[in-house]
Amino acid sequence: MSPMKLCVPGDKLCSTEDCIPGTGVYLRHGYIYSSLAGYVLRKNEGEELPVISVVRETETQLLPDVGAIVTCKVTSINPRFAKVHILYVGSTPLKDRFRGTIRKEDVRATEKDKVETYKSFRPGDIVLAKVISLGDVQSNYLLTTAENELGVVVAHSEAGAQMVPISWCEMQCPRTHAKEFRKVARVQPEYLQA
Amino acid sequence: MPTDNKRVRRPEVSQSPSVFACRPAAVLPAAGPRADGRRRDQVDVRPVFVRCGLVSQAKGSAYIEAGNSKLMCCVYGPRETDRKDETDMKCGRLITDMRFAPFSCPERGSWIQGSEEKDLSLMLQESLRPAVCLHRYPRSQVEVNVMVLENSGSVLSHAITCASLALADAGIEMYDLVLGCSIRQDGASYMVDPTYLEENGCSSGSEDNQGRLTVAFLPSLNQISGLQSDGEMAEETLTAGVRTCIEGCYKLYPVIQQALAKATRKAAPPPSES
Amino acid sequence: MAAGFKTAEPLEYHRSFLKENCRPDGRELAEFRTTTLNIGSISTADGSALVKVGNTTVICGIKAELTNPTVEAPSKGYIVPNVDLPPLCSSRFRPGPPGEQAQAASQFIADVIESSDVIQTEDLCIERGKLCWVLYCDIMCLDYDGNLLDACIIALLAALKNTQLPEVTIKPEACTPEVNLEKRNGLLIHKHPVGTSFCVFDNSILIVDPTAEEEGLSSAHFTVVTDEGDRLCSVHKPGGTALSGEKLQECISRATARQREIQKLIDKVIQSVKAAE
Repeated sequence: MSPMKLCVPGDKLCSTEDCIPGTGVYLRHGYIYSSLAGYVLRKNEGEELPVISVVRETETQLLPDVGAIVTCKVTSINPRFAKVHILYVGSTPLKDRFRGTIRKEDVRATEKDKVETYKSFRPGDIVLAKVISLGDVQSNYLLTTAENELGVVVAHSEAGAQMVPISWCEMQCPRTHAKEFRKVARVQPEYLQA
Repeated sequence: MPTDNKRVRRPEVSQSPSVFACRPAAVLPAAGPRADGRRRDQVDVRPVFVRCGLVSQAKGSAYIEAGNSKLMCCVYGPRETDRKDETDMKCGRLITDMRFAPFSCPERGSWIQGSEEKDLSLMLQESLRPAVCLHRYPRSQVEVNVMVLENSGSVLSHAITCASLALADAGIEMYDLVLGCSIRQDGASYMVDPTYLEENGCSSGSEDNQGRLTVAFLPSLNQISGLQSDGEMAEETLTAGVRTCIEGCYKLYPVIQQALAKATRKAAPPPSES
Repeated sequence: MAAGFKTAEPLEYHRSFLKENCRPDGRELAEFRTTTLNIGSISTADGSALVKVGNTTVICGIKAELTNPTVEAPSKGYIVPNVDLPPLCSSRFRPGPPGEQAQAASQFIADVIESSDVIQTEDLCIERGKLCWVLYCDIMCLDYDGNLLDACIIALLAALKNTQLPEVTIKPEACTPEVNLEKRNGLLIHKHPVGTSFCVFDNSILIVDPTAEEEGLSSAHFTVVTDEGDRLCSVHKPGGTALSGEKLQECISRATARQREIQKLIDKVIQSVKAAE
């Protein structure tokens, strides 16, 4: 195997007749150019032409996008919404904190009008959520947990111990056996490492 | 004078010892070789030393040394924009800040950012912006901080080169690298990549065509993204100067490419081809 | 898993290492990061030094200017230290006037200079009541990864040792100073203060030379400054959890050992700079 080719922004990689542009590249006058400093990667994905991309270490996805699954930490709650810090996009950690909001009506899919935020999240909880909108001028990223796989994954009880989930809406403290309400996520094995 | 209660108290006035020096101020010679041995009227840029990825806290960073000029640049972000308006929803923001360390110039600089630094920051931003794919970073800002550690001339052009390296090191998507080069026009002759003395020294020669020119250039796209000229120059002199600067940029290009490739290789081994 | 644990529960993550008497970066509790020094690299300054303690990078440049001594202290010059934490060095600092941490660090350095007698301000006097030197010691952080104060003191000390002041003569008839920039003399360094910073975890575990992350998670941090005669120049403990006397004694003896290492390092680098000239 030959060593992989390195490129820097502005390098002309190939013509659009030879490859389909992937990530880390841009098109100009019928040619594909690199927009990153990284390795040139050609991939055959069953199509006629290979897909050409430029890849760097891990930071391929830098910003939360609509539809992305994010891991966040709850910073504050009020009756209408919970405020969170987005820590991960997929399994990629973000270097800078982005703020997000989970509105009351986006906490769960059923009985939306009966949702109470303080029975769903507490500050400090680690929550899996999905980005539904980038928000407008006033608001932050809007997130939802209205899926079985989304919701609280790590939470601490009032006694300070890490709680174990006992149902989709309750968690229990192993020390005091007190039960607390949460919108619990059914964790999928693929997200276990994140 | 208002007291600065955020810093340690200093005497109200102090003067640089060079004011009292018995030696007369140096005058730029009108002809002949330059003080550092380079030739006039030749695209004789100082050899540069560049490194990427030195600052652990930054997303991307670069250090450049050309002669005695030493500059450092750090890139942070993309992070959430502090103030938002409608345009930020579609397009990211590029924020630049260029500063001189107080000890970087022959005369001690102030702690507070002066108007020269603000001008340079703006010029830096305008030169970099056409090269950065800002539409890929909606709602976010990319911050570029440049610190001049030692000013030995042509700091703006080196700041442009250094900042584009740091942006590439940070993995910010760009259409091309941006390289900077400047000249000092002194009558009929010119000096490429002038030193501090050549930049600021008054010439003993003719009065016409005295000026400075800095060009920011996208080498692969063959476009000029920034141009700043001050002084007085005839039209032909200026166009010839721009051409000279572009030639200077092409001399830097392979060095910058190699430095970036080296940093990329060091940051991560090639991913497996699967 | 490790990365996720680290982001979600940073304190627990550090505790799990401290329990095993080590730290996430592989150091022992009382181990410093590699310290490197570069002296005299800035030719526009009268003296300069660049210090790296692990990732933390600090540069100090000294510029000397002439001024009049105050009426209260006619035979004393000035030393004006300033610690700058520009937004370049970490995303935690914003542009603008110096923040709280930078102000506190500047004041701390000023206190160390005064209490340690590193330079006697009388040495900076040129003519009593008329003319003296002011040394502007600008210390700038270029990469902030914790333990700023230790790095600042080393940078300052090394830059002071590198400082060469031009010779000044006063013409008696004209009463104006005349400066000979070619003829320069070094400063007289009386003492060599060196700082050692510690962090406290869970009221009992002490670690030395903390990183930025460790500083943020610890319950207290403090700095001990000693000189070559094992004299205590300064103990700086801004709040945090209480500390027992024995622990403090332990820290002081660790600090005196560190002082020797650093002084040796500075001497070695100065020797090599001289040899290269």
